[in-house]
Amino acid sequence: MIEIRDVHKSFGKLEVLKGIDLDVEKGEVVCLIGASGSGKSTLLLCINALERIDRGKIFVDDIDVHSPQTNQDHLRRKLGIIFQQFNAFPHLTALNNVSLAPRKVLKMTTTDAQELAVQHLERVGLGDKVDQYPAQLSGGQQQRLAIARALAMNPDYLLLDEVTSALDPELVGEVLDTLRMLAQDGMTMIAVTHEMPFAREVADRVAFFHEGVIHEVGAAKDLINSPKKKRTQEFLGNIL
Amino acid sequence: MLFEYTFQWRVVWKHWPELVQGGILTLQITILSIILGLAIASVLAVLQDSKYQTARGIASTWVALARNTPALLQIYMAYFGLGAFGIHLSPYAAVLGAITFNNAGYLTEILRGGFNSIPASQKYAALGLGLSKNQAYVYVVLPQVLQAVFLPIMNQVIWAMLGTSLGMVIGLQELTGMTTFLQSQTFRPFEFYFIAACLYLVIAKLATVLAQLVAAYWFKGKATR
Amino acid sequence: MIYTFTTNDFWFMVQGAGITFVLTIASGFLGTVMGFLIGWARTAPNFLIYHLLGAYIDVIRSVPLIIQFVLFNSFMAILGYPLNPFISGLITLSIYISGYVAEVVKAGIESTPRVTRLAARGLGMTYFQDFYNIVLPIGVRTVFPAWTGLMLGLMKDTSLIAVLGATPPELLRASQIIINRIQEPLMILLGAGAFYFVMCYAITVFAKRYEQGWEQKKEIA
Repeated sequence: MIEIRDVHKSFGKLEVLKGIDLDVEKGEVVCLIGASGSGKSTLLLCINALERIDRGKIFVDDIDVHSPQTNQDHLRRKLGIIFQQFNAFPHLTALNNVSLAPRKVLKMTTTDAQELAVQHLERVGLGDKVDQYPAQLSGGQQQRLAIARALAMNPDYLLLDEVTSALDPELVGEVLDTLRMLAQDGMTMIAVTHEMPFAREVADRVAFFHEGVIHEVGAAKDLINSPKKKRTQEFLGNIL
Repeated sequence: MLFEYTFQWRVVWKHWPELVQGGILTLQITILSIILGLAIASVLAVLQDSKYQTARGIASTWVALARNTPALLQIYMAYFGLGAFGIHLSPYAAVLGAITFNNAGYLTEILRGGFNSIPASQKYAALGLGLSKNQAYVYVVLPQVLQAVFLPIMNQVIWAMLGTSLGMVIGLQELTGMTTFLQSQTFRPFEFYFIAACLYLVIAKLATVLAQLVAAYWFKGKATR
Repeated sequence: MIYTFTTNDFWFMVQGAGITFVLTIASGFLGTVMGFLIGWARTAPNFLIYHLLGAYIDVIRSVPLIIQFVLFNSFMAILGYPLNPFISGLITLSIYISGYVAEVVKAGIESTPRVTRLAARGLGMTYFQDFYNIVLPIGVRTVFPAWTGLMLGLMKDTSLIAVLGATPPELLRASQIIINRIQEPLMILLGAGAFYFVMCYAITVFAKRYEQGWEQKKEIA
């Protein structure tokens, strides 16, 4: 499980996280919602140590993420991360985008890694695109490529940072379908999202971020359908 | 009138072997100065991001001096100026040294531009997959940098080749210097310089076409940022 | 007898720097006008013009400037119109830089997206209204830094006019004349380098201020 305890984080004078507490159980899907700049994305980067934290602790399966004794490269294998801006590697084919990390990090043979990559590309519906470069793929396809790439490392958790925000509306569906499939397979996910229908349907719990703290957290349907706090009501009222 | 002048191309043909010899020297200095320049530029680019102010100072001084003074002045400096320190270079060493100095300055900027053109998110994405910092660098960042800097470096190669022609001024017999020597023997300046110009054009054109072929093959289908 | 650096020598170098400056401004102006026309012509949908002017640019950018100086000079002599070396050098410099300016101008004109031009034409603007009011302002802001870089390069390249023995001598030739007399190459060359450096730096600062003006007015995206 992931345990987040009193996490603080500043960029210069700007305090982005002002004491975050959150637990995510194995198999759970938690959506983080809230206005831009409320610190949701930063929290994701802190969970897999792509950003340092100033205070507090984060444990992933009882490993202290930010302790100097922790091998963070090692830790990140447990945590797949997918970004808003796909971040496909433009110089590699779809196949090599997915097989790079299994080869270099898990030390698989090229044949095994490519076999694994094909499996995962097929799983996200890109079986016919293995030899294409990212520039030849649509935004939705690039994002599914990024998902396949993360899944090939067989992570225990997936961190999703507004994965549909940069997509054209007609491409959002294909990516959400892929995520729905993963949730049904029991993948643990923490997703920053603006897709309320998706959050209501797929998430177990939803946390509302406001000005660097978790303002309200609860079961997905309850929080989205009948938020208790005023700020949450305002936010949901504005975007629904 | 133009028609009162009789062009004499045969005399150029007679000295063809010498011209080729000059051309080979031009190519040699060009290639050496680019290889050495790239090696120095790689160091300077790293120094520019150093935490030590002295290191940063050395790198940016080099770049500023190389880019803001004429290449001819740099050659004079190597050939005449260093004499004050008891260093007396041959014309060959002076031209090679000065063009290398010049290349290193421009190439440093090209390399830096290449690195800056790769978004930090690419490194994040690689680290997020569990790659170590070094692996992220070698397999994700560096290949993209090479792609970004390839054509600018090829432009610099052409520049270096044009720059070697300044060797003529201190008596080096590269293509331009050799041409100057030959025309002074035969008093046919137009014919000799015309043929030399054609040779430069052919070399530059060949290099450009070759570079484009390599780029087309190497970067096939990949995004160009 | 040992010669030393005199105040006269200093003023000789200042005068040389002035000549360098004049050469740069004059050939920069002529070359920019020529390059503008060439670059503009190359954006017209005409296969022949595109490739003919492309060949002109290719030749200019592949042949050392020294050779261009000598070739142009001896060509004019062959034609029966021998030119004063200074004038000949000035014309060669203008032709030379026009080849580089043409490529920058073409890039600038093409930096306005097609849809923007269509939008302008859709409002009823003529080709020239669109070109003058839309394409030109966008293009100038886009390629101004590249153009400044070309002018800096041109200033350094004026030193090559020395191969023609042009008088009055520009900065590097002037320095060499002094070196020949007092045999102190290092100090004089350092001095000449400082002159070039300061002039380049001044132009860079001036150009930056111009760009920042645009940026502050949010005229650059």
